[in-house]
Order: sequence, then C-alpha cells, then structure tokens
Amino acid sequence: MTLAGWITMALSLTFVWVLTFWCFRRVLKSPQKEKAPPGFGP
Amino acid sequence: MSIGHKDEWGTRLGVILAVAGSAVGLGNFLRFPGLAAQNGGGAFLIPYFTALLLLGIPIGWAEWTIGRYGGKKGFHSAPAIMGVVMRSGTGRYWGIIGVAIPLVVSYYYVFIEAWTFGYFLKYLAGGIGVDVAAPVSEQTATAASFFAAFTGAGADGALFTGESRLALVSWLVVFAINVYFVFRGLSKGIERFCSYAMPAMAVCALIVLARVLTLGTPDPSHPDQSVLNGLGYMWNPNYSKLGDAQTWLAAAGQIFFSLSVGFGIIINYASYLKPDDDVALSSLTASATNELFEVGFGGLITLTAAFVFLGLAGTNAAVSGGSFTLGFVALPVVFAHMGAVGNLVGALWFFMLFLAAITSSLSMYQPAVATLKEAYGWHHGKATAVVAVIGTIGAGLTLWYTRGGAYLSTVDFWAGTLLIYLLAAVQIIAFGWVFGIDRGWQELHQGASIQVPPVFRFVMKYVAPAYLLAIFAAFCVQNLGPSLRAAWADAGSRAGILSIAATLVFLFVVVRAGERRWRAAGLDLDDRQAHHGRRPTGHAHGRHVP
Repeated sequence: MTLAGWITMALSLTFVWVLTFWCFRRVLKSPQKEKAPPGFGP
Repeated sequence: MSIGHKDEWGTRLGVILAVAGSAVGLGNFLRFPGLAAQNGGGAFLIPYFTALLLLGIPIGWAEWTIGRYGGKKGFHSAPAIMGVVMRSGTGRYWGIIGVAIPLVVSYYYVFIEAWTFGYFLKYLAGGIGVDVAAPVSEQTATAASFFAAFTGAGADGALFTGESRLALVSWLVVFAINVYFVFRGLSKGIERFCSYAMPAMAVCALIVLARVLTLGTPDPSHPDQSVLNGLGYMWNPNYSKLGDAQTWLAAAGQIFFSLSVGFGIIINYASYLKPDDDVALSSLTASATNELFEVGFGGLITLTAAFVFLGLAGTNAAVSGGSFTLGFVALPVVFAHMGAVGNLVGALWFFMLFLAAITSSLSMYQPAVATLKEAYGWHHGKATAVVAVIGTIGAGLTLWYTRGGAYLSTVDFWAGTLLIYLLAAVQIIAFGWVFGIDRGWQELHQGASIQVPPVFRFVMKYVAPAYLLAIFAAFCVQNLGPSLRAAWADAGSRAGILSIAATLVFLFVVVRAGERRWRAAGLDLDDRQAHHGRRPTGHAHGRHVP
C-alpha cells in the first residue's frame, strides 16, 4: 500500500462516512411532520 | 387523494431505508471493487465521485421531485406521473418504461438472489466442497464447477433435472418471501422489512470487514499476500488511467446503476410522500447510504480478502472474470482458506448479499402493482397476485433458459441497462426542460430540510443531461452492435427479447385502460391546472374513483 493509496482510501472513506453521518443526523434531528386530522385541509 | 387503495410510508426514515435498500445490491460488493481495480484503483474514485456529484445525486433529486409531484396529483404509477410532468400522452408512454424495467429485471434478479440464498444455506451446512489441501487452481476449478452446476449454466432446463434442485428450491423460497412482503403493502411490508434488513446488512458487513482486516499475512510462505497489499491492490492510484475515456465511462455507469436512478422505482416510492415531505435531504441520504455500502464496505472487503489468499495473479483472474466469478467462485476459495471460521464468514457474506438483493428485488414489483391498481382500480391483493403470476412466468423463462446465461445477459442488457439509460435521460430532460427548472427547483425545495446549493440548478438543467447523453452515446457505440447481433443468436436470447417485448405490450394495454379510466374520472392527466397558473395543492385536486 503506497502513501498515495493510503491518502486516497482515507479521503474516500472519510467522505462517505461523514456524508452519511451528516445526512442521518439531519434526518433524525428534523421533526417528523404530523398527519393532518381527517377532514382537515386541503 | 388516491385512485383506489391509499398507500403511504410510515416514517421518513422508513422511506429512506427502502430507497437505499433498493439501491444497495450485489453491484456494491462485487461490481464496484473489480471495476475500480481495473480502472486505476484509487484514481478511479476521482471520476467516480465526479459522476456522483454531477449525475447520480442530481438525477436522484429530479426523480424524487417528479415522483412526489405525481403523488400530489393522486398518481403513483410512472406512466401517469410522467404524463403529468411532461403534460402529454407521450410522457405516459415513456413512463411505461419505468414500470417495465423493474418488472423485467425482477425476472432474472430474483434468480441471482436465489443463488445468494442457496450459497448461504450451503455454507451453513459446511460449504461447497472446496478442498483447501488441493492446489489453488484445483480449488478454483471446484468452485467454478459447483457454480456452473448450481446455476444450470451447462444446458437449458438443467435446473429441472435433479442435480441443481437447491437452486430451484432457493428460488421458490426467495420468490415467496418477495411476494409476501409486497402483498403486505408499502408500510407494513417493504418499509418494515427494509427497516430491519438494512441495519442487519450493515452488521454483517462490519463483521466480515473486521475479519478480513485482521487476516494479517495468513500464509508465511507468501509474505506479499497481506491485508495491506490487498488494500493496495484496490486503492493504490494509477493516475495514467484518468486519461482514458473508458475509465470515466465506467465510473459514470457504476454510479448510475448503483444508485438505481432511471429504474422507475424512486419515482413510484416518492409518489407516496405527503406534499410537504422533504425530498432533498431524503434523496441525498439514500444516495449517501448506498455510497457507504459501496465504497466503505465493498471497497475494503472483496478484493482485500481475495488478494490475501489468491495473490496477485489469482485476484487478477477473478476480477477479469466479472462480478459473478469474483463473488461465487473466487470468494468461496477464500472462505475455504479461513480455517474453522471460514464457513461462518461465508454464511455471513452470502446472507449479506441476500439481504442486499432482496431489499432491491422487493422494490421491483411495487411499480407494477401500483400501475395495475391505478389503471384498473384493483385492490392491492389482486394487483399483487397478477404481478406474482407475471413474475412467475418471467422467472420461469430465466430458470429454463440457463445455458451460458444467454437469457439473463440479454434481458440485463436491453432492459437492465439500455432502457435505464433511456428513462433516466427522459426524466432529467423532462425535469429541466419540460416541467421547467424553475418549477422543478421550487418543487424540490418544498418542505425541504436542506437548501440545495444553487450551482445544482445549472447542473440539473445542463450538466447532468449532457453528461448522461454523452455516456449513453458512448455506451451505444461500444455495445449496441455486438448486442444486436447476439440478441437473436440462440433460444435463450430470443426468449429474453420476446419477454421484454411482451411485458412492454402488456403494460401498454394497461396504461391505455388507465388513461380511459382517469379521463372518465376527470383527473388532471396532463397537468393543465398547474400549467394555467394554478398552483397544485395535492389533496385539493382529490377525486376518488369509485
């Protein structure tokens, strides 16, 4: 494994892990919208 | 409003996991690493991530947006939704492709899924008979011969002769599981299954990854066959490959198929969202999850394990043999070398592949079920039963025409590759140029949990369509000639072409019937209300068809 290989692997893994973690954190933090009661709306 | 039966997702996380489950498949663990190793190793990740940002994520946003917009109008089938988005009957006929692709792909995909399940059972029962004391070439030959017999590659009808019964039984079990969960419905079936299967798949992947990364140098007589050199095989960059157009084409193709964009599934899944449900973050999260499995697990496990036990020459041979050779021939040899835990790791590996496959196949039936319900007003059970019958006929052809994989590869090329390019191109052009980028951008951000960077407005209108059309053209130049010649070459490929044609004709008839029914019900089929300045308000359009 060359230094360039280590760097490529580290950057790629960091990108996918951070992106996934950030996305799920945002999803779980944002409140779920409540359903409108029947007959309410449009 | 909904035409007939009301379906909806239970939770936001549920729909994300269902879409991610649809995207994560065998290609994440088998195709991606081989492709990367052949196209510059770590350097391949440059065109790969470029395609993710300029092609995969933007088209994903477009599909989610289009799907939810169609859902607001009360439609869940790709033909009706494409008709609304393109404001014409032409759009509805393009949309037929969005139902045909997943249905036709399911004909053979469930069979491949059955291989993973059958191998899982074999490893629980002690492996596939690879003798670790024999020379590696003999071990590979044993694994290859088992795979050929298991899949009936020797002759058409071989699966029905007795020796390969396990494959047939595996298919029956797997198909029944699929039908059961589709029958249970969107929330109680597909969503619930994916909510358990996706974390379970991640746990399996982590366990297998931990075992692979701690293999060290198992054979002292081959000190070069170490985990570090295995990682180097996959990740050491060869930048000279970046000057090769083939590398960029391969990377774009991998992103495209891995994310399941242009498949017709996202458009259906997103149509069950509520009008103000987020699509921007959900789409991004599903894509990110797919990338985690592909780069984070697939990029570390498969080739590293192969290299440690098979060495450079063996891994090169496995990679050049293609995804199936890598997964079902080379890795069984690797598991045989792992000693006492080899069968357990093998079972975990194939169970993980099975979960990856079933979360994808479950999504393949839903678009057809939704289309039948919408077109004829059938209840969910009846539509599922009809789709199950069609699936059985298609799978029957796959199970019979096994010689040399001709049926499978023909259907995979024409429906599972060419039509996907076509549908994705139609969708992204429809989004940016027919629906309009202004409306599309506004629609994408309705209820959004994130603000998409403005540069993606330009990307979605110009870059993604141009990029997609360029790789589509290059793909056609490279493959269309040989595939046209092979399309009628033998019984298997002829059956493949005819099954695609029959499915398209059937869906055409269904959509024609649907059109009449939707018009009779006074639905806004061509999006005229929004076109004339009135903002669509989802349920306000609601009209139930009795």
